[in-house]
Amino acid sequence: MSVSATLKYMVNVNIIGKTALGWQRRRAEHSTFSSSKWRTDILSEPLRIGARTKELISLHYLAGRYANGHRPVAWVTSGGPVEILQALGYYVLYPENHGALCGARRAVVDISTEAENAGYSRDICSYARTDIGSVLSGKTPVGKLPKPDLLLACTNICQTVLHWYRVLADHFNVPLILIDTPFVYDEAPDHAIKFVRRQLEDSIPVSEQVAGKTLEYKKLQEVLQLSKDATELWLEIMGRGKQHPAPLSVFDQFIHMAPIVEMRGLKTTVDFYSQLLKELDERISKGIGALKKERKRLLWDNLPIWYRLRYLSEYLAERGIAVVASTYTNAWGELAPLINVDKPLDSMARTYLYPILNKGTKYKLNTMRRMVEDFDLNGVILHSDRSCKPYSIGQVDQRNRLIKEYNIPALLLEADHDDPRAYAEEQVASRLAAFMEMLED
Amino acid sequence: MELPAIPNRIETITAFKQNSGMIAAVLPIHYPRSLFRAFDVLPVEVWGPPGTDVSHGGAHLQPYVCSIVHNALSFLKKGGLDLADFIAVPHTCDSLQGFGSILLDFVKPKQSIFPLYLPRGNRPEDLRFLTEEFRQLYRHLSGLTGKKPSEEILLRCIRREEKADDLLRQLYEKRQKVSLSNYSFYHLVRTREYLPAETFISIAEKVLSRKGFDNPKGTAIILSGIVPEPMEVLTTITELGAAVVADDLACCGRRLYASGKSEQPFRRMAERILNAPPDPTRGNSLEERKQYLLRLADQTDARGVVFYDVKFCEPELFDLPRLRAKLKAAGLPSVQIEIDLNDPLSNQIVTRIGAFLEILG
Ligand code: SF4
Ligand code: SF4
Repeated sequence: MSVSATLKYMVNVNIIGKTALGWQRRRAEHSTFSSSKWRTDILSEPLRIGARTKELISLHYLAGRYANGHRPVAWVTSGGPVEILQALGYYVLYPENHGALCGARRAVVDISTEAENAGYSRDICSYARTDIGSVLSGKTPVGKLPKPDLLLACTNICQTVLHWYRVLADHFNVPLILIDTPFVYDEAPDHAIKFVRRQLEDSIPVSEQVAGKTLEYKKLQEVLQLSKDATELWLEIMGRGKQHPAPLSVFDQFIHMAPIVEMRGLKTTVDFYSQLLKELDERISKGIGALKKERKRLLWDNLPIWYRLRYLSEYLAERGIAVVASTYTNAWGELAPLINVDKPLDSMARTYLYPILNKGTKYKLNTMRRMVEDFDLNGVILHSDRSCKPYSIGQVDQRNRLIKEYNIPALLLEADHDDPRAYAEEQVASRLAAFMEMLED
Repeated sequence: MELPAIPNRIETITAFKQNSGMIAAVLPIHYPRSLFRAFDVLPVEVWGPPGTDVSHGGAHLQPYVCSIVHNALSFLKKGGLDLADFIAVPHTCDSLQGFGSILLDFVKPKQSIFPLYLPRGNRPEDLRFLTEEFRQLYRHLSGLTGKKPSEEILLRCIRREEKADDLLRQLYEKRQKVSLSNYSFYHLVRTREYLPAETFISIAEKVLSRKGFDNPKGTAIILSGIVPEPMEVLTTITELGAAVVADDLACCGRRLYASGKSEQPFRRMAERILNAPPDPTRGNSLEERKQYLLRLADQTDARGVVFYDVKFCEPELFDLPRLRAKLKAAGLPSVQIEIDLNDPLSNQIVTRIGAFLEILG
């Protein structure tokens, strides 16, 4: 680590960045004038926490910009066991989150084209394409991404990340830690849990060597506790969607989920979600819903369509449809009970084996059914995501079962989480319109 | 030169069942053949098959899933796997993971389903895990068949497969001398997908014992990818004046398993798979794949590589840009072809291969 890099980091992130972003946030919080670009005639005023979300994300990417040379940097998959790295002081970047941000800022086509021009097929995951395009061209809406000193890929969301991270490892010529999590068709057998535990154990010396320091057990426990606290809060936040009217929609969840993905294990994240929960409770006590008029309530399955969040939110809100829960955002909360700070590695092995994406298609169907009941929902939109096969395969049967066996209206909506070229607005609108009619029957 | 008579899939399955054996339909790519055989179960692999009416699969799968998986599901639903008693689904990729899960949860065919997880590395813990995974498969098979083959039987079955694989290796090594056309050579190699090892051994020995072979004619190339379908592509390559002298195909060369070392059967089965030639679905690095392909080219004087891949196959697609660039930098040019198992060999593909061969000169 270099003194000049540390100095630059301190000045640009800790002094200038924090002050400027803090000031921007305070200004936004105290502004009486709504700066929302979303339609406030059908949607409630955006959550006040939005200003804080913006501050946190901006600060996170700003810290990344100056991290090289000051802190070790790891690039990690979204379901990756980040606690060991956090406890060692790594700056952690999640290329998937960066991909989502590029999607929301409509930068994907430009960046992904860089990867496609280099030979990467449009049939591979659009997050991966966006990331590789960004690596090859340096293009990013956040200014600059830090180079990784270490890569960590955990297969608990898909095998795609293995292939993607091998490309990154080859490009950056840095160590790649693989945490391979056998798919859980039913229950994870003992040997699978031991397998993951051993890999977690083996990841420690590699992470220590790159970071140049030794992992303190106590620090790991602290981080794990913060991770658990944040995850529990996130679960509670999503649970508030059970209220009528729901104080937040899944579109709000998509916007405010970044910290639970990329800042797990940090105190700021716990504070952030405590504040969000408080704001939701205030809304509930005043009877304020995410929609001005909530008539029907839906579940969203699969990743968001990042580049059309606002369109979808408004299209549905106009018709009084609130999408109040999602299997996707739920994935970052449902495992909270498995985290046990007294048994860090054992509990991490289980926690990281059991995300919804590492479990069978029936489990996902049951999760949807349970959520429909718990949240008192009228139907389900299953986003059939062209470039995310692990989440999407099984949806045809899931939709059919929801309709035929459980009498729950369900719609399969073809799109892609990040690539607008795989999205046809007219077709989406007509499918949604037909679905709305079905909901009214 | 002609091949000796080789029984086809149906003949093989029927004969095996007549001798009170059972059949396991197995999806790609890696699995322990010997473990099934120890229970008198013959594994018969399902690589699609090509040219299936995919409408049945379309009732469960989105169009962006590869044709291997689409066809396999359609084939199953049309009754193509009715002769099988079990279906084994190795966890090769996200698509096969989904396929296995759909079978277990929704399609629920009459056959018992065995999912099988393959670790993505070759570390000591991967070996331990895979050994246990095979032990678990043994317990499943035992529960279903009522048999409990001893360690001795397991080892005997392993050695028989090792002998078959050794002969397969010899066929590859003598590819330069075994004067079979591209089509015939791969027809023979691919019988490993369904023939009992003992039948394969006797056919391979006959072929290897022939004398007076010629070198294959034409520009020497390596074929890489998943599966050479339609097989007609091999004849086309011959007609275009080239010889496939080596391959890095998932159904062929990536399964040239060396003999294991351990005397503990499950461990030995695991060793064999983990030490197989590089394969992206088992997590090998780009550098390992590059070195392997360069070595193959060196050994066989191959002058180029045809990457012949199935559309939507992420494990293959991710590697190609960097792998091809590395090979090019090392003086080994390549061309990339994408196929769908249900499409006939198009003029466009023939033209691209032809143009590539012209460049190789
Ligand atoms: S394939 Fe799906 S789960 Fe995997 S990285 Fe892409 S979006 Fe995420
Ligand atoms: S072709 Fe590729 S995507 Fe399809 S089953 Fe084989 S490895 Fe999986």
